[in-house]
Amino acid sequence: MGALGFLPTDAFNVVVLGAVFVLISLGLYFTFGLLDVVNLVHGELILVGAYTALQVADWTGNVLLGMAAAVFTAGLLGLVMERGILRFLYERPLDSLLATFGMAIIIRQVVQLMYSANPRTVPDPIGGSFSFLGFNIPWWRLMIVIITALLVVGILVLMERTRFGLRARATVRNPHLAETQGVNIGWYRAAMFTIGAGLAGIAGAVLAPINTLNPQFGLLFLVNSFLVVILGGKRSLRGIVVAGLVLGGSLAILQFIISTVFAQIVVLVFAIAAVRLRPVLARHVGQWRQQRATASAAADVAHSP
Amino acid sequence: MTALLQVEDITAGYGSTTVLRGVSLEAAVGEVVCVLGRNGAGKTTLLRALMGMLSKRGTVQLDGVDISRWKGHTIHRAGMVWVPQEDTVFPGLTVLEHLDIALGGRGVDAGVEVASDLFPPLADRLDQEAQTLSGGERKMLGLAQALIVSPRVVLMDEPTEGVAPVVVQQLIPAIRLLAETAAVVLIEQNLDTALAVGSRAFVLEQGSIVETGEVRGLYESGVLERRLAL
Repeated sequence: MGALGFLPTDAFNVVVLGAVFVLISLGLYFTFGLLDVVNLVHGELILVGAYTALQVADWTGNVLLGMAAAVFTAGLLGLVMERGILRFLYERPLDSLLATFGMAIIIRQVVQLMYSANPRTVPDPIGGSFSFLGFNIPWWRLMIVIITALLVVGILVLMERTRFGLRARATVRNPHLAETQGVNIGWYRAAMFTIGAGLAGIAGAVLAPINTLNPQFGLLFLVNSFLVVILGGKRSLRGIVVAGLVLGGSLAILQFIISTVFAQIVVLVFAIAAVRLRPVLARHVGQWRQQRATASAAADVAHSP
Repeated sequence: MTALLQVEDITAGYGSTTVLRGVSLEAAVGEVVCVLGRNGAGKTTLLRALMGMLSKRGTVQLDGVDISRWKGHTIHRAGMVWVPQEDTVFPGLTVLEHLDIALGGRGVDAGVEVASDLFPPLADRLDQEAQTLSGGERKMLGLAQALIVSPRVVLMDEPTEGVAPVVVQQLIPAIRLLAETAAVVLIEQNLDTALAVGSRAFVLEQGSIVETGEVRGLYESGVLERRLAL
């Protein structure tokens, strides 16, 4: 028994829930964080990923194949939504909010029609557990942490070390300038939305084996993923990772002390307070940057002949 | 001289507001064509329309090819580049990344060398975020982004506006260098700059061209003084 009855398995669950919060937010980092679409269909893209994994696992008996199919299906759905509807709405945030809300309802209803509202389960792809300090920890929960870490590293490399990432960031930061500098912003927006949708699909498929599926499955994650992205800073993947670990980890710890519902309320209040304090921090950073720009302006004269 | 850029009867605006009314002009390689006019005359709108940023009526031809309906990125790739007056940088991106984007990721090392030779202050700031550059350095970066792609047509929106005279003296040779191999369309409020680099001028008033001629001729005849309320 650990201090205050806190077991190593509980500590591990803190890490797992932190990773889950990060995992469910990675797709939203692209669609909402970078593309500014208030993407209310994010939860349903997670749902599509989970049910795709379920369906393909039913057909083939291979859950991992189902997970690969989940990425493809959710990504393709995202691409169709972006090209078909959302690309016309980037300058109209309220309309895109309504559009994603409508698409979310349609997807949820289609899933309910196809699979009914009855709870379903996806088998654990690995099964079994390993022993850690004398306690059993399920392999798949460890895999969730590893998959999340790999995805984060992969996204960081993609966005910060590749030609695609540079042009995608330019598209996000100043789309009109990017377009006149030879960047096909329509293509990059579509690619980013597709990646975001695919990541939501992965999240759904990876989390399906540790949850019970029903057509409301995606809604479980929608609020928390928005909290993580807003708290972490929409365009900062590192901030989102920290926010996800803090919010998910806090929730896991609080659930150990108080009821789940009350723990969620405390985390929500904490997130709102933290978001309220962000502008103060941003102001200090802004002042620091201003000082650098002033110093740079003074250098104009020094560099001139 | 055969005009590389041919603009005919362009009408454009924002929403239901018409800003440009039947504007026509042309520019050939080796010349700097100045578009002069008071604030609100439609100068920036003209460049935005030419770069495919606004829907418009009329035709724009680049080397005989109709590019009127092309999007901005294809126009850039065809060799027509825009050096905007405002909103010139990508926040969070370094100077080097700005040059990389302009080049489409090809020949970046050579491009950086050209930019560094022309504007030494940029060479010292390649890894600095462009938004932290001074106003003058941002103008240098804008011109460098145009220069390194060996453009055929350059649209420049007030490249010397708001910068110190010493910096203007660094920018003017760059504009002349661009004009050696490209057709340059220059919007300029600073008449000294227009006289220093400009060959022909079009005076824009309320969205229409009202005067055309040699820059110096228009200046010496008092037309510019009258039209621009100098």
